[in-house]
Amino acid sequence: MATSVDLSEQAVPAAAPVRGGFLRALLRSPSGAVGLVIVLTLVLAAIFAPYIAPFDPLRMAAGPRLSPPSLDYLFGTDDFGRDVFSRVVYGTRLTLQIGLIAVGISLTSGLLLGLVGGYGGGWTERILMRGVDILFSFTEIVIALACLAILGTGLTNAMIAVGIASIPFYARITHSVVLVEKNKPYFESAISAGAGHLRLIFVHLLPNVVPTIIVVGTLGISTAVLAAAGLSFLGLGAQPPAPEWGFMLAASRDLISRAPWNMIFPGLAIAITVLGFNLLGDGIREVLDPRQQRR
Amino acid sequence: MTRYLVQRLLAALFTIWVTTVAVTLLIHAVPGDPVRIMYAKFQATPEQIEAIRSRLGLDEPIWVQYGMFMGRLFEGDLGRSIVGDQPVLDILLTRFPPTLLLASASLLIALVIGLSLGFLAAYKRGTATDIAAMVIAILGVSIPHFWLGLILLFVFALQLGWLPVAGSDLRSLILPAVTLGAANAAVLARLTRSAMIDIFDQDFVRTARAKGLPKSIVLYRHALRAGLVPIVSMMGLQFAYMMGGAIVVENVFAWNGVGRLAIQAVFARDYPMIQGFILVFATVVVLVTVVIDLLYAWLDPRIRYG
Repeated sequence: MATSVDLSEQAVPAAAPVRGGFLRALLRSPSGAVGLVIVLTLVLAAIFAPYIAPFDPLRMAAGPRLSPPSLDYLFGTDDFGRDVFSRVVYGTRLTLQIGLIAVGISLTSGLLLGLVGGYGGGWTERILMRGVDILFSFTEIVIALACLAILGTGLTNAMIAVGIASIPFYARITHSVVLVEKNKPYFESAISAGAGHLRLIFVHLLPNVVPTIIVVGTLGISTAVLAAAGLSFLGLGAQPPAPEWGFMLAASRDLISRAPWNMIFPGLAIAITVLGFNLLGDGIREVLDPRQQRR
Repeated sequence: MTRYLVQRLLAALFTIWVTTVAVTLLIHAVPGDPVRIMYAKFQATPEQIEAIRSRLGLDEPIWVQYGMFMGRLFEGDLGRSIVGDQPVLDILLTRFPPTLLLASASLLIALVIGLSLGFLAAYKRGTATDIAAMVIAILGVSIPHFWLGLILLFVFALQLGWLPVAGSDLRSLILPAVTLGAANAAVLARLTRSAMIDIFDQDFVRTARAKGLPKSIVLYRHALRAGLVPIVSMMGLQFAYMMGGAIVVENVFAWNGVGRLAIQAVFARDYPMIQGFILVFATVVVLVTVVIDLLYAWLDPRIRYG
């Protein structure tokens, strides 16, 4: 999509047993600790936005127009006199919502496709995975644009488009994990014990895909946030007056030399959010896969 | 090699064929009446709408439409743009070269920065240099490129005045190419680092060192060459990412490529334009990926005979 996915991070081996509690292990890794702090801060900012933001994010003339950052208007004001700080704080709500919904769509669909393809084998696998390969070569941004061309523009449709565009990615990863798990003794013994298809897929395979999916899904929130902000920046997502960061960046372009704070803070907010989920994902991976830790 | 070549080409052709089916179906997936949506701005009369519908062949059964579409495609006709009122293919042919130029320049920048940063980090593993390089890399992955573009625009074009804000010459290419290259440099740096660390730990590097070869020869002739193999295998994908990223970055710098065209077409619901864009974009990406994969197979005999 608007950003590239780090492919070195695709293959996450199955979970190794974690000694001494997941959270403690996560906090021991520098990226995990920093990532967790950032993400928790964002969640708190989203929940308590009305108490943190000094102004209504949509209120025009909350202050003078294009006022530079000051104690009253921490991040300055925009060309309608709206408080940029309040808009950025409320934007956290939209951004987290976009990230979770988009990843929810791509993760559940990709998971199902990968599980069914990997478990089914034969023609089912060939057709599903060939389709995934083809979608992959379209690139995510083109899939997203095609979805928007069909559905029309707007924030909800942008979330759906971003979600659909990443389905091939999650399907591929799930598939690769299933291929490994399928050949392990526990799975073969479950087959010989006479377990049915659904039981094999959901009771035996799914739990072993989950660790990988947690890591990839956390990193995927970063990608989804970036992609959706990119679509809003292009004007295809959030519409005025929504306090959405990508849209705020687009609106800041005409003010860039007169009031650069309109450009700096929403961009910084996106970067910190993406960084937070990237670090958290890296941290979780380190905990689940100690092989990486020694590096 | 021939067998591999034929296989890859057939797979590419199949993908392109699926794309033709997908773009034909696209217009039918639109909820409501696509013709009405397309011409909403033009205040067309019901008679005009029907005339356009039959001109586009949308009143025919879908397989007839697909046949018509393919027939015209083989004559090099992708239909007419609704907004531009020009043949879609003509518009695409003038808009693709700037995007390809931008994507290639960015890939070059990403390679130079990413490989050096990753190599340095791996070589100095565990030191402050390594940590600094990886901090830069994770920041690079996290910064939205459209924001980086705005910052570079603000600093180098508006404040310092060193580079133009927009344009179509080579000087105007610098800022968009650096913007797009930077994000992927970060991805490549992380990739290179882990590939090189794997290589440094391998026996042939240790043997080369043990037999007393100078450090620089071991590094460049043995380790770097082996380390490049997984990196080169990623180049096709990297190129596809660059093409995708270009769509957004072009809009920051008013670079007159196919990306801006595509966004405008989605806005205007210019379906012939959107269909043509998707088809040509996918074809270009697929063909470039095949060429890169073949180069890779030619470099690495294990793939050819594997």
